[in-house]
Amino acid sequence: MDWQQLWQIASTPDNIPIVALLFLIPFYTWYAFRQARANDRLIGALEGNPELAKTHHRKTLPFKPEWPREVHVWPYLLRIEFLAAIIVTVVLMIWSITLNAPLEEPANPNFTMNPAKAPWYFLGLQEMLVYFDPWMAGVVLPSLILVGLAAIPYMDENPLGAGYYTLKQRKWSIGAFCFGFLVLWLIMIFIGTFIRGPGWMWFWPGQTWDHSRVVFEVNRDLPDFLLITSAWGKGIFGAIVMGVYYGLAGLLVHKVVTLNDFNRKIFKRMSVLQYLTLQFFLITMMLLPLKIFIRHAFRIKYIWITPWFNI
Amino acid sequence: MPETPTPAPEEQDPVTSNSYSVIYLVASVLLILTLFWALYDEVYGLRPWKGYQKEFVSRYLAHLKKLKPQEKGAEEEIKKTEGYQELDRAYKSAELEAAPRVKEIDRQVGLIDDRATALTDTFQTRRSEVSAKIYEIEHASARSKVSLEKDLEGIKKEAPSIELPLLDGSGKREKVSYTFEQLEKEFDRLKGMKADLLSQRLETLKQASDLRKKRDQYLEDRMIGLTEQQVNSLISKMEDFKVEIKQINVPEYGIVDRCESCHVGIREPLVLEAKDMGGEKAFTSHPDNELLKIHDPDRFGCTPCHNGNGRATISAERGHGQFEHWLWPMYATKNAESGCVQCHLSDIVLDHADTLNYGREMYWERGCMGCHRYEGYDKEPEQLLAVNQTLRSLEGQKKEDQKQITALEKESENAATNEEARRLLAKAQEIPMKISLLDAQMEQLDMQSKSLLREQKKIGPNLKDVRLKLKKEWIPVWLEQPTAFRPTTKMPNFRLSQEQREAIAAFVWQSGTGTAPPAQPAGDSQSGKELFETRGCLACHSIGEGSDKTGGTFAANLSRVGEKASYDYLVRWVHNPRERTLPYCPYEKKDITAADYAKHGLPYVFDPDHSKCPNDGHELQVQQTTVMPSLRLSWKEAQDIASYLVTQRRPNASYPAAPFMDDPGLKAKGEQYVKFYGCASCHEIAGLEEEGRIGTELTKEGSKPIDNFDFALQTRKARNESWYTAKGFIEHKLQQPEVYDTGMVKAPLEKLRMPNPHLDDQQRSAITTFLIGSVDSSWPKEIFYNPSGQGKDIQEGWWIVRKYNCMGCHQVRLGQRSVLMDLPRYQNPDWREQLPPRLVGEGARVNPQWLEQFLANPALSMTETDRNGVRPYLKARMPTFFFSPDEIRKLVRFFMALSTQAEPYIPQKLEALSPQETQMARELFTSKAAPCLKCHATGELTHDKSATAPNFLLARDRLKPNWTGRWIADPAVISPGTSMPSNLFKVQEGRYVFSGPLPDIFKGYDKDQIALLVRYMFELTPEEQRQLLSRR
Repeated sequence: MDWQQLWQIASTPDNIPIVALLFLIPFYTWYAFRQARANDRLIGALEGNPELAKTHHRKTLPFKPEWPREVHVWPYLLRIEFLAAIIVTVVLMIWSITLNAPLEEPANPNFTMNPAKAPWYFLGLQEMLVYFDPWMAGVVLPSLILVGLAAIPYMDENPLGAGYYTLKQRKWSIGAFCFGFLVLWLIMIFIGTFIRGPGWMWFWPGQTWDHSRVVFEVNRDLPDFLLITSAWGKGIFGAIVMGVYYGLAGLLVHKVVTLNDFNRKIFKRMSVLQYLTLQFFLITMMLLPLKIFIRHAFRIKYIWITPWFNI
Repeated sequence: MPETPTPAPEEQDPVTSNSYSVIYLVASVLLILTLFWALYDEVYGLRPWKGYQKEFVSRYLAHLKKLKPQEKGAEEEIKKTEGYQELDRAYKSAELEAAPRVKEIDRQVGLIDDRATALTDTFQTRRSEVSAKIYEIEHASARSKVSLEKDLEGIKKEAPSIELPLLDGSGKREKVSYTFEQLEKEFDRLKGMKADLLSQRLETLKQASDLRKKRDQYLEDRMIGLTEQQVNSLISKMEDFKVEIKQINVPEYGIVDRCESCHVGIREPLVLEAKDMGGEKAFTSHPDNELLKIHDPDRFGCTPCHNGNGRATISAERGHGQFEHWLWPMYATKNAESGCVQCHLSDIVLDHADTLNYGREMYWERGCMGCHRYEGYDKEPEQLLAVNQTLRSLEGQKKEDQKQITALEKESENAATNEEARRLLAKAQEIPMKISLLDAQMEQLDMQSKSLLREQKKIGPNLKDVRLKLKKEWIPVWLEQPTAFRPTTKMPNFRLSQEQREAIAAFVWQSGTGTAPPAQPAGDSQSGKELFETRGCLACHSIGEGSDKTGGTFAANLSRVGEKASYDYLVRWVHNPRERTLPYCPYEKKDITAADYAKHGLPYVFDPDHSKCPNDGHELQVQQTTVMPSLRLSWKEAQDIASYLVTQRRPNASYPAAPFMDDPGLKAKGEQYVKFYGCASCHEIAGLEEEGRIGTELTKEGSKPIDNFDFALQTRKARNESWYTAKGFIEHKLQQPEVYDTGMVKAPLEKLRMPNPHLDDQQRSAITTFLIGSVDSSWPKEIFYNPSGQGKDIQEGWWIVRKYNCMGCHQVRLGQRSVLMDLPRYQNPDWREQLPPRLVGEGARVNPQWLEQFLANPALSMTETDRNGVRPYLKARMPTFFFSPDEIRKLVRFFMALSTQAEPYIPQKLEALSPQETQMARELFTSKAAPCLKCHATGELTHDKSATAPNFLLARDRLKPNWTGRWIADPAVISPGTSMPSNLFKVQEGRYVFSGPLPDIFKGYDKDQIALLVRYMFELTPEEQRQLLSRR
């Protein structure tokens, strides 16, 4: 184990947010889920007691009948927010005193740094370049992410669960978020920071980043496995595979969307456009983990090869 | 708002009843603390130089106060001397004399000032009003201009009344009312009066202040340290010291250096050592003040030489640039001279940079440049290659042109019209002219090639001669580990396997050429030893092993030469090392044999005067490519020395038989290895004369990005032990070149081939200093040292001086010692006179034309070569170096430039002697008190046996008259320790007069007597000298 290097990576001012992320994200996830569970219990209680539901306004357990039904923002909320502001100020001040801006040497156009890494918040995008061609990973997919995020409110037909933590009423949305953000996005940032070394090669944490490392790794395109050599053949084959994937994945998503009564109720409220948009974004998102998997498991580079883009 | 009675505490609503006061308290305290932390950081934490400066002031003041009484004591001593007292008295009386007038002037000036002060306020107010109005008028429209101008008139006419003191000193005041113009006039009048008075004051005090300056100068000239006044001014400077960023800013070069913010004492006028400053190294003054005078920090800053981050002020580490991302970290103290290289690229010898000089010397002498190209080193092979390529292409062009003549002639015959035919013919007739131009160009190139062939040298011996020179069995033993045979050899240790060794030995042996030199009769080794030790061989060569070693390091140690070399070859070599077995033609790329000469019916003669190739007429290499010169020894002397050298062997030295060396099957393999290991970089090898360099170019090695240094498996170790730097790489590489192969799996011919140069720590450090300083400088080229004229002559000359090791025998610059000077033999006073002449000031001494002839032929004779031309009495011999014309030119210019002699040299015209003066000079020449001819050689054999100085007949051509005069007046200042007596002449009434008893004939002669002697010397003829000798 190269502890020194591990420490160097973890302590670089650039990487401080990522190291903090490693602890903060699990904590806040746990904290949010705890809150959601508490609310779920309250929702259960209220559903079992319609009388209480009429008089109860506060949404958080524990609930005691003799407590005030409403509390004022001032002072009860603001005092906590102010406390948080003080603590964040202290943290930011200490941070800015102790860590200087991570400046490096003047850029030299004749000499590229290795590994050349994007700022931490873009490392996920950079990692995507391993799995898709630059056009897809650099332009199409990031645009889809932005458009998809913006489209969420327009596809969401679930009227429940707005303004409070709950798992029970938004299982579906929370599941999609956890998968897309926590699993895909954050893990890719983690990989980009800790795993990718010189030559963007895969180094396990603790393995020395050796500039002259040699690995035997041949990536091939799926059509090559099947001995398809002509450009037309590759294009058509890829289109078929992608078509099959979208079809099968669509069926699977539909199965999940109509899994239980609650889901089915919401499904019924959706228009065709809303539903197809949802399908498209979900299936496209699933492309990423699938691609990561077949890349690492079978060393497959691209599935669909065209002169304009590769998937 | 609770609606029910207060419930039990554990059931209270946490939202309304929880108290956050403790957390609030803690958070607020933390906030306050961080605030203070931030403030501290802002004021002191990020500005450590504040503390440094305060500390410096207190320590420096303490030091100065300690120094003051000492300096004061020394000063008092001087002040008590008569000279000072006299100046002091003169100053004081002059001051006293001027005092009343000065007092009167001061009084008047005071009165004027009073009046002017009273006037100023009104005047300035009015003036601003007027100028504002004028501005308005200038910028107003044509229409409003008229009314504004009227306003201005009105303002100007206003005349407020003011009270002004009178100038008569009565203290009374007058009431006046002045318009603006009057105000202005009055103001100017007062100003003029004051200026007049002040210049009068200066005039009155001039004598006194001049005297004071003289007195202070007297004191300063006699003080070794600082005067009390200087110390006091330093103290008061420190007392008024302002804590602030001290910055050098040179905008035209982009230099911003704040180093002096902490190194406050670096430019102080006295030497500050760490111990003076309470052990704080940051506060010392610059260790080399002279260097700072040449490189004024206000022009050069600090970082251009030292590297580091001149702008950073937050910590020493940042300022010194010793962190990962700073590309130019400060050079370590022992490599400080690295900073010189970038600007002094062409200086092989540099003042104030001994380490660097040593590094450059090692880079050259150890043959590093053989494999690693470095701009400026060993450039002849490349130039030769270029010349030959041009020659070849010109030759091709000539052939083309000749073909074209016939083609054009034919075309003109078939031309359709007469006009066309004439035009073509005219064109054909022009071509021979073109060809003759080409011929002229080729001739020039051939001359250049001749020069280059003579200048081209190799570090190692010529391996074409192995069969003639070496004992066969010795070669594989030598290859195994050269240092085992000769610890001080320049040949590095290669890591050769048995198989490689055998193949290389076989190839070298079998590629040897030539026939054995003629057998020589045995000489007298006893006389050979004497000759070896006195002729000057020891200036370059050393002899004796371990602590018995004496001599120079420039050439090989000859202690065991008898074990390997053939006697016959040695005799030939000692007689003339440049004598070559076979000439080499770089144009045809082969050795030329007698058969080639015979084919063309030419005599088989090749030497520097017969260097044309019989086959193609181009220049041949007719000399050995060694720097070893010819000492012009007789065959007898050469035999004696060789006989002595063959006795230099260990008793019972024996070498195992090596039959494989004649195995032709090994030759091809051997050649492959020889090419792989770059043997031809240092040795001349048959068939590999044009081999290129095999190593990396090192001209810009210092600025190679660290990732481009291949630390291989040592990377992690280097990082952990913090030598992951260019310096660390080079130092480790020089210590153990194969270190970066450790743990690597490589085929034999993929391994690192750099041999171990077996350097000691000092040499390694010196070479490292040189190499890490070799950077692609980011500073503008204007600050580089690219001299023209004499500066350039000196730069170029040093390369020749170093190349031929002139400093082995001669002292060329002050403070440098020749090898011979330190030999035990020359410590004896009798032998000290036998030291070769010092060349400091040589340019002032000799006529450049003469020097040029002397360097080409130090015997100064075509026939009698077995002698020194100037100093026949010296046992040590000035050798013949066979310099190329270019080298001679550079050397002559070098010596002239070192003594800042004007060029070209125009001899001073001397007045002819009158018959009487001739007679006087003769008398002086032969006087008992100064028998010149007793020591100076005359060319007469019996007399010259005891002579210890040059012949006077040489003087006319050789010397410069001015120098000769200075030399006669005081030879000891020009060449300390010379046997020529000083004080022969003394100064009397502004001229030199002979110190001994003057012959009667001098009565009434009032001219300079040294000048008389010089004029006589420059008129001296052989007959005259013979006559003098008979008079003696």
